Amino acid sequence: MTERLRDIVRRISRPLYSNARLINYYWQRTQRNKLAVFGLAFIIFLVLLAVIGPFFTLDPTAVNFEEKNMPPVGFTIEQSVYNIETDEFTTKEIPGTWRHPLGTDSKGRDMLAMIVSGARVSLLVGLIATGIAIILGTIIGVLSAYLGGWADNALMRFTDVMMTFPFFLLLVLIVFIFGPSLVFIVLAIGLTGWTGTARLIRSEALSLRTREFVMAAKALGASDNRVIFRHLIPNVISLIIIIATLSIPGVILAEAALSFIGLGDPTVSSWGIILEAGQTSLNTAWWVAVEPGIMLFLTVLAFNFLGDGLRDAFDPKSNV
Amino acid sequence: MGKSWLRDYLLKRIFYSIIIAWGILTITFVLVRVGPGSPADKYLANIAARGQDVSQVIAAIEARYGVDKPIFQQYADYMGNLFQGNWGWSFSTSMPVIELIKTHWIYSFQLILLSSLFAAFLGVLIGIYSAVKQYTKVDYAFTFFSFIGISIPNFWLGIMLILVFSVKLGLFKTYYDTTLPLFSLDNLKALVLPVITLGTGMLAGYVRYTRSAMLDNLRKAFVTTARAKGLPERTVIGKHVFRNALLPLVTIIMFDLGSIVFGGAYLTEIIFGIPGLGQISFNAIFANDYPVVVAVTIIGTFIVLLVNLVTDVTYTYLDPRIRYD
Amino acid sequence: MNTVDNAILKVSNLKTYFFTRRGIVKAVDGVDFELRRGECLCLVGESGCGKTVTALSILRLFDSPPGKIVDGQISYNSLDLAECSSKQLRQIRGKDIAIVFQEAQSALNPVLTIGDQIIEQIKLHLPLDHGKARDRTMTLLNEMGIPSAEGVMSYYPHQLSGGMKQRVLIAMSLSCNPQILIADEPTTAVDVTIKAQILDIFRELKAKRQMSTIFITHDLAVVAEIGDRAVVMYGGKDVETAPVSEIISNPKHPYTSGLIECLPDVSKTADRLASIPGTTPNPLEMPQGCAFHPRCPKAMKICKQQEPPEIIISKEHKVSCHLYT
Repeated sequence: MTERLRDIVRRISRPLYSNARLINYYWQRTQRNKLAVFGLAFIIFLVLLAVIGPFFTLDPTAVNFEEKNMPPVGFTIEQSVYNIETDEFTTKEIPGTWRHPLGTDSKGRDMLAMIVSGARVSLLVGLIATGIAIILGTIIGVLSAYLGGWADNALMRFTDVMMTFPFFLLLVLIVFIFGPSLVFIVLAIGLTGWTGTARLIRSEALSLRTREFVMAAKALGASDNRVIFRHLIPNVISLIIIIATLSIPGVILAEAALSFIGLGDPTVSSWGIILEAGQTSLNTAWWVAVEPGIMLFLTVLAFNFLGDGLRDAFDPKSNV
Repeated sequence: MGKSWLRDYLLKRIFYSIIIAWGILTITFVLVRVGPGSPADKYLANIAARGQDVSQVIAAIEARYGVDKPIFQQYADYMGNLFQGNWGWSFSTSMPVIELIKTHWIYSFQLILLSSLFAAFLGVLIGIYSAVKQYTKVDYAFTFFSFIGISIPNFWLGIMLILVFSVKLGLFKTYYDTTLPLFSLDNLKALVLPVITLGTGMLAGYVRYTRSAMLDNLRKAFVTTARAKGLPERTVIGKHVFRNALLPLVTIIMFDLGSIVFGGAYLTEIIFGIPGLGQISFNAIFANDYPVVVAVTIIGTFIVLLVNLVTDVTYTYLDPRIRYD
Repeated sequence: MNTVDNAILKVSNLKTYFFTRRGIVKAVDGVDFELRRGECLCLVGESGCGKTVTALSILRLFDSPPGKIVDGQISYNSLDLAECSSKQLRQIRGKDIAIVFQEAQSALNPVLTIGDQIIEQIKLHLPLDHGKARDRTMTLLNEMGIPSAEGVMSYYPHQLSGGMKQRVLIAMSLSCNPQILIADEPTTAVDVTIKAQILDIFRELKAKRQMSTIFITHDLAVVAEIGDRAVVMYGGKDVETAPVSEIISNPKHPYTSGLIECLPDVSKTADRLASIPGTTPNPLEMPQGCAFHPRCPKAMKICKQQEPPEIIISKEHKVSCHLYT
């Protein structure tokens, strides 16, 4: 069984990696787009941050009320401190320090540490949930196109129903019912986000079947298997890559939004949760709201740039 | 030209929508029943936490919700109840769910309507301009900003707007004032930040779609023909090119409306304290008041269904190339 | 050659360049010809020789960011069309000078009815109300041999056959009684029967309306059928100009002779069709000297170095070739 699986994977990827020239060609075209390169660079930076960052930062869960609400380096903020003995409020100027380069939150936790650990969460959720959604969507799409007839009909009606649900509302419902643990959140996002992929893959698979180059291959005597693996799949793979790149930001935002409204996993410090805390302390500690937001924004932006650049490289005729 | 085919198509499409509607309700039912615990559990947890006696309440709930009945009976009851307008009882607010919805939907409606209009008008105009001026600095600037617009998390945007305009600059109130009459200027002012929050993402999307649709058509041969006839450029763009771009655009806009807007509206309402359907769903979550959450989900989905139906039929009517005889 | 008095349009040293990212494309690089009243002048050459761009240049219809008329004059009615204002140009387009494009399906706006498109042009240039414009359109369509003109007016382009579409295009171009009609390869994208019909239409136009026509084609057979005079183009320049009978019986330029030889002769048996060796030059990398020299069977040393001057063979016949210096 695993032998067969390995064989299939090798055969699917062979057209891609054995054709290094092709990969290089696509890479050259992607490179032309400076924004896409910036996107990729940021993503790599983020991955590094998530993987090795936690080793270099303070403990994100360390609470320290003495150092609460400190601003980031370079900023100074006025805090009023209540002195029990004199029953007075005195205002003190608290500057940011390099010990907490991004400041601290209302419980004295180091912002930088929390942001870094949040990066981990966002990336993990992004990758895994997207992976689930894409695999599910591809299977359904390919199956639907391949089987045709009533199976195709039934699957597409089902897809239609799922697509009609507003993504976020459905997500909220599911997480509400099943509980806000990270596993469920990832599963929920994956199980609700496959519809777009299914549609796209199905239509691509259908159109590929009748395209000239497939007919040409068959006319030259290629077997069905060969046609599928050497011709159909490589074309679908590029589509999948683009879909994946452009889906990840939506997934990351979905998780952040869930955390933001309180349906996130409380044991994990995701950017959304930090943002939620920040909302209530806009007056006293605005950076708690600004920082995770900037990270979310840049991450989404990076994936969008990259996805757009990839799409341009693979199909420059499309005008979007 | 007889339009009977259109009526036939409409009927077919409505029938189809009914099937989808059935699918939606069924899936929702399945989700709720499959979830851990009975529907009463969440409410029970609440009651227990408040130190009240649980056993009587259990009996009442089970009788009311028929949890002991076989699943098909429950399903039938569920469907029956929904059609009769009996959407359950909201524990947390002590009123029938349907009443709750009746009093709050208008806030969601005004928010979504204003944001959509804002985004659609501005987005289409900028998109057209951007397409016509392709490769100029203005085009690059707009394209760049639309990237930013679609990437900015809208809940963060809302908070930032509050931070800058309400907290620091004091131009707007931080919280929506529900005592304001709906058709007043004050109400409009209070909606400025929420509309910008919800509308920006949509706006950026529309700019991109419009630009793309326009570009698809700008280089086509009929545009040169139009110019060759001596038409002024604005007629060429505004009538000839735009009409062709409009068709796929309408579909995309409507589809977007369905899938993205509700999530955004949900968050926007929460941030700004607008008492729309998103807000009541949010409150219900924390009160473990599940009928409300389910009801809001179903409403949102049905609106999407309706919008899809209307768009589909409108598009079929408008595009002269589609004829089903 | 002397300028004859009844020249209605005169193109002198026209140069239209396209400034692209990959370099400057000299699509038209010094073209001279004149169109006389009532004649059918053919611009002949392979694809890429610049004939279409020449036609577009007359009405400045090419895409203007990359394209620009860098030199030359186009004299019509004491106006220089290369330099006049957009407003003046628009008054001439569709009214004094009309152009018909080759692929009728893409040249017509798919979302407007035939009637709409023609009436639009009529109302733009002529002071007629809607009813009269409609009548005029119907008369035109009838003249073009389109049956049931009234029905056709409410049709959309995709509902018509290829031949009908081409007739509609021609009808549209004639709607305001232009003095000059430019036809860009109207017979290229159609099959043989329709080709014959269209040629008939052009013959009639000349006979009945004394229409001055510029007919663009790559097919010498067509030139022989309906042309009065021909301008052979290669590499963006005019290489030979003469009456059609002269060109066919006494071609001077090697390219012209090559084109004539390419015409299949049914009376002879041959194993292969004759063709001119080589391919049209890459517009970004034009050969030095005479653009045709790499493919010319009679190329001499000087052809590689210098561009050939214009030689006057007789009153009506001129050629640009070193063979005749």
